[in-house]
Amino acid sequence: MSGHVKNMCPQLPISQAARTLLSLLLVAAIDSVSAGVVCRKQPCGSSLQISLKLTKLIHKESADLLKTYKVSQGDMSELFCQMSINNVPDPNISGLDPSERMLSIYSHCKAFLPHLKRVTEQQTDLQPPSSSLLSKLSTAQNRTNGLANQINCIYQTLFPNLPIPPEPVDGPTSVPPSQNVFQQKVYGCVVLKRFKEFLSRVTRELRTLKSQVCTRRTTFADTNALS
Amino acid sequence: ESPPKEPSEGAVIFPQDPALWMGSSLTATCTVSPERGLHANTMYWTLNGKRLPSSTYGLLSTNGLSVTLHRLNGSQQQSGDNLVCHSRDGHVLAGSCLYVGMPPEKPVNLTCWSRNTKDLSCKWTPGGRGETFIKTKYTLKYKLRWYGRERECEDYSTGQRYTCYIPRDLALFTPYEIWVEASNQLGTATSDVITLDILDVVTTDPPDNVHVSRVGELEDQLTVRWGSPPALKDFLFQAKYQIRYRLEDSTEWKLVDDVGNQTSCRLAGLREGTVYFVQVRCNPVGIYGSRKAGIWSDWSHPTAASTPHSEPLQSGSCDPKPGEQNSTLRRELKQFFGWVRKHACGCSGMSIKLYDQWRVWLQKSHKTRNHVGKNNIPFISDKGTARVFYLT
Repeated sequence: MSGHVKNMCPQLPISQAARTLLSLLLVAAIDSVSAGVVCRKQPCGSSLQISLKLTKLIHKESADLLKTYKVSQGDMSELFCQMSINNVPDPNISGLDPSERMLSIYSHCKAFLPHLKRVTEQQTDLQPPSSSLLSKLSTAQNRTNGLANQINCIYQTLFPNLPIPPEPVDGPTSVPPSQNVFQQKVYGCVVLKRFKEFLSRVTRELRTLKSQVCTRRTTFADTNALS
Repeated sequence: ESPPKEPSEGAVIFPQDPALWMGSSLTATCTVSPERGLHANTMYWTLNGKRLPSSTYGLLSTNGLSVTLHRLNGSQQQSGDNLVCHSRDGHVLAGSCLYVGMPPEKPVNLTCWSRNTKDLSCKWTPGGRGETFIKTKYTLKYKLRWYGRERECEDYSTGQRYTCYIPRDLALFTPYEIWVEASNQLGTATSDVITLDILDVVTTDPPDNVHVSRVGELEDQLTVRWGSPPALKDFLFQAKYQIRYRLEDSTEWKLVDDVGNQTSCRLAGLREGTVYFVQVRCNPVGIYGSRKAGIWSDWSHPTAASTPHSEPLQSGSCDPKPGEQNSTLRRELKQFFGWVRKHACGCSGMSIKLYDQWRVWLQKSHKTRNHVGKNNIPFISDKGTARVFYLT
């Protein structure tokens, strides 16, 4: 380098090797990007632990949400909430091995979201603006979306060779067409009841998954061993 | 037992989700399709979870049952009352949500104000008793009186109910007509129209930087100083001010009204050595040359100050000065040593126990000062044996 360039940069000279290392570290820190979600590296056990905590929180809130919902619809017998309605996601997690079950959690979260959104829209017309139901519904949606993103990241890191299927646009999870008010009340109850049951299952499932897929040696460097 | 089917699958209620006047009557019908194999005389109705008496039912056909309700009460919840038709085993066949209430009454007390001529906020009160049981929508409308089309206010979210906010594009020096429409499923009502020029209803921010300070050593006076609201600089209006003040522990405010447009004022006739709370507010006057007053601003945040005392504080403080404390201790020690010399067998038995014993003796002697008698003190000599000395 010529003399005058050196004079312009009198501070710490960063060697070429250091620069390369820095770039590598930055790239490695951002594990993968999917659906616009940037996943950060974390040890397997603590990732699942965080998701488990979030699931427990949403589950606890879902009990209160269902209770608030029922109160604001007026005296309804438990019958309303048990009616069968097509197209509302069932609460069961499917799959035989951990990757399938984790994927099932993810896709169920995604499937519940449009229904939660529809219930929120319907209740916005039915409830007074001051109703706490609306803010609780909104919170549930946000948190569930967050959980789905977390599971997405964990899945990609543990099973990098298994693709995540794209979200269905017009599939069995689409929301029902316009309904009369009574149908809306029943629909909302069924959605929220199943949502609560689903979260209870996710809690159990994440605990199991944690013990199955996260061993002491499982860091992101070793994930190839699992696939 | 067949599993519970979707509501309205094979069953229909009429009317579906009606809006009804309070006190009116309703006859509803529930018709099941013949394939369900249900007979109407096994069905029953509930309203808000309560079973309705079969005396109110009417058998229309083998698969149709009606119910008649009289003198309906206002809806229990805004999402509607649940009128449900059940099969004999309790399963829900179909449901309808009743909205029972009244049409809205004319909104009243519509008032508007503008902050610094930039915007317009309006508030109103629902007419009558206000509660109509049914969701009522309010729309604030306005138009320029002499020309222009009717426009609607869009921002109802400023925290409080029955308010609306128009943020911009308001004309000055020309009157607006403003009114509120209330509507629900049973009807509409319109408030009276108010006419105003934006410049007639201007308010501004309270003054900032309010400082209250003493006037030298004067015990009955305080000086209040403040800044004029920044927005005034943009407009051709002056301001007039008001001050109010109160004693710290009083709820009665004293108002100073003739402050004019200065930004400082001296309060006199105050009590000495007292804390006062002071607030200032502002009224924009003389907007664009007019002599009309505007609307008073909110009061500024309270500022406090105290008037001086008339005499220096007497030294009646509770805590002894450090030097004093030492002399008390010294005096006590002197008393203790004197007592030890008199009553102890030499000083070799000196211990804190001895000191405690002396203190106990002090207390007792204080109590029995007026008694003629003997004071007994247990005493331990340096030989370790207990002896009792009698003192008179």
